[in-house]
Amino acid sequence: MNDLAAASAAALTGASAPAKLKVRDVHFYYNGYQALKGINMDIPEKQVTAIIGPSGCGKSTLLRIFNRIYAIYPKLEAKGSIELDGENILDPAYSMNRLRTKVGMVFQKPVPFPMTIFENVAYGIRHHEKLSRADMEIRVEQALRSAALWDEVKDKLKQSALGLSGGQQQRLCIARGIALRPEVLLLDEPTSALDPIATGRIEQLVEELKHEYTIVIVTHNMQQAARVSDRTAFMYMGDLIEFDNTEKIFTKPGKKQTEDYITGRFG
Amino acid sequence: MSALSAEPIPRDTEHRSRTDARHDLIFRLALRFCALLVLAALLGAALSTLWGGRDVLFHDGLHFLLSSDWNPVENQFGALAPIVGTLVTSLIALILAVPVSFGIALFLTEIAPRWMRGPVGAAIELLAAIPSIIYGMWGLFVFVPFMSTYVEPWLSDYFGDASPSGGVQAVRLVIGTLILLIPTLPMFYGALHRWLHGMALTATALVLAISLSGALSYVLMFSVLPNLFNGPPLGLGLLTAGIVLAVMILPFISSVMREVFQTVPARLKESSYALGSTTWEVVWDIVLPYTRSAVIGGIFLGLGRALGETMAVTFVLGNSYNLTASLLMPGTSISSSIANEFNEAVGLHRSALIALGFLLFVVTFIVLLIARLMLRQLARKEGR
Repeated sequence: MNDLAAASAAALTGASAPAKLKVRDVHFYYNGYQALKGINMDIPEKQVTAIIGPSGCGKSTLLRIFNRIYAIYPKLEAKGSIELDGENILDPAYSMNRLRTKVGMVFQKPVPFPMTIFENVAYGIRHHEKLSRADMEIRVEQALRSAALWDEVKDKLKQSALGLSGGQQQRLCIARGIALRPEVLLLDEPTSALDPIATGRIEQLVEELKHEYTIVIVTHNMQQAARVSDRTAFMYMGDLIEFDNTEKIFTKPGKKQTEDYITGRFG
Repeated sequence: MSALSAEPIPRDTEHRSRTDARHDLIFRLALRFCALLVLAALLGAALSTLWGGRDVLFHDGLHFLLSSDWNPVENQFGALAPIVGTLVTSLIALILAVPVSFGIALFLTEIAPRWMRGPVGAAIELLAAIPSIIYGMWGLFVFVPFMSTYVEPWLSDYFGDASPSGGVQAVRLVIGTLILLIPTLPMFYGALHRWLHGMALTATALVLAISLSGALSYVLMFSVLPNLFNGPPLGLGLLTAGIVLAVMILPFISSVMREVFQTVPARLKESSYALGSTTWEVVWDIVLPYTRSAVIGGIFLGLGRALGETMAVTFVLGNSYNLTASLLMPGTSISSSIANEFNEAVGLHRSALIALGFLLFVVTFIVLLIARLMLRQLARKEGR
């Protein structure tokens, strides 16, 4: 059964890199409404996987299962299994705290916390590690450097993060996410609230970060998926229609629906 | 297409903009009038109480504020006891009501299942709609006997005695120290962790925290609390009035807090959960800072109500002008003094009561001013 599933998934993805997340037969229900109808996919390690599809297709829902953030709301239910390095994260015994140190998330709109820039990054670290002040300063600087924000904020770490521009705020959120040194980074339409220049910087950042992290990005913007991702999944109405190398999806899609979507015939 | 782009439709834009300007002007003036009316009413009330109280203020001057000697028969009027009574009962009310309101609001916004939120929220708002005379009656007939039979004897037995037997002494000291460790230990830990690490840090922080909280506990247990809880368990008194007031202001504070907690964007909370925060951490680090000014506003709304509350307090306060440190003893407040005495007040006595009313204005004003300054200070700290 497992072999069969693995074999079919491998056929589905044609994956070459080892799978970091193995999604197996995942169903999701909002208050009884079925939003995901049996998703199977292997997210390859240290690559960028984009999920595209029209509004309401379930792409954000799928992303929000990967760190179980949906669990803070009542009446939401996920079935099936998602293996992160061989362990099922949907198992209630899998510690939420552990999951969220391994899987970081960045949301649609930049959401800095109402504190200083330094504290925004240090905040998450404090939940999981006890660091001395000096070590904390190093960690915060590293995170801000990786998020390509350090040079812009190094002189105003003690100022409120709310004073940053939208693009800077979003990079701060990415810094906050990678400060925990996660293995997987989930980006939920990270540039939808940003201008083209800020978007360009974030995309460049994604390109750099993929050497260290497994990245899953949900996007409305097909050009963005084509630019930043190695593999692209197309979803429609709660089903995974096609999942393949990005180049193939955008040049020779295997399914009619995919072709219709990427050529702009619907969506 | 050509039909549409042919000739411009003649419009009387001149006339329209003239009437628009006139309407706007009328609207602006009407609004300004409404706002000025409030200011005028406030100023009028303040000035007329000041005018009504001029006799006693001229007669006694500062003595009116500083003396606790209130004797209408001999025309002695010192307002210190009612001022202190007002402030102390309101302070007790706040100390009790703020944490409980916070808990209620949090429970309702973050933890309670959806079906419970409506009914419990409505019940709290109903609590606010109960007239204060009912609270007063309940206080006098139900709560006062309860306090005098159960709570106050216990308080004065365990805390009211300045030099109890050795065993009680030790127990009190240890309990006080343990409670005080809760804030002092993290304080020292935080202050020292720049210089020390590991065991050395833990040990040093522990030693310092225990010695500080031990000393504080000693002072608290053997000189502060015995004074506060000293006296016969009458039931009537400052403590009882403070508790009744707490119940009365609870719905105000908790419904404000509930409203503002609901305004915190879900994505802000989600971001914090996504970093592995617990519900408590989300509330303490995200929800509270985000809503801080509104929460403080709600607390001061409750405080304002507690300062001016008359009926319920008059029932349970005991109406005595004796100024004591003990919370178990009867006292009086500004508004309950007025309610009790206005009926038979003439001449200077009457003037003194009106001057008390003016003092209530001043006290409330000062409290609100402090709230403003606090908020400004906080805003500055955040770098906004």
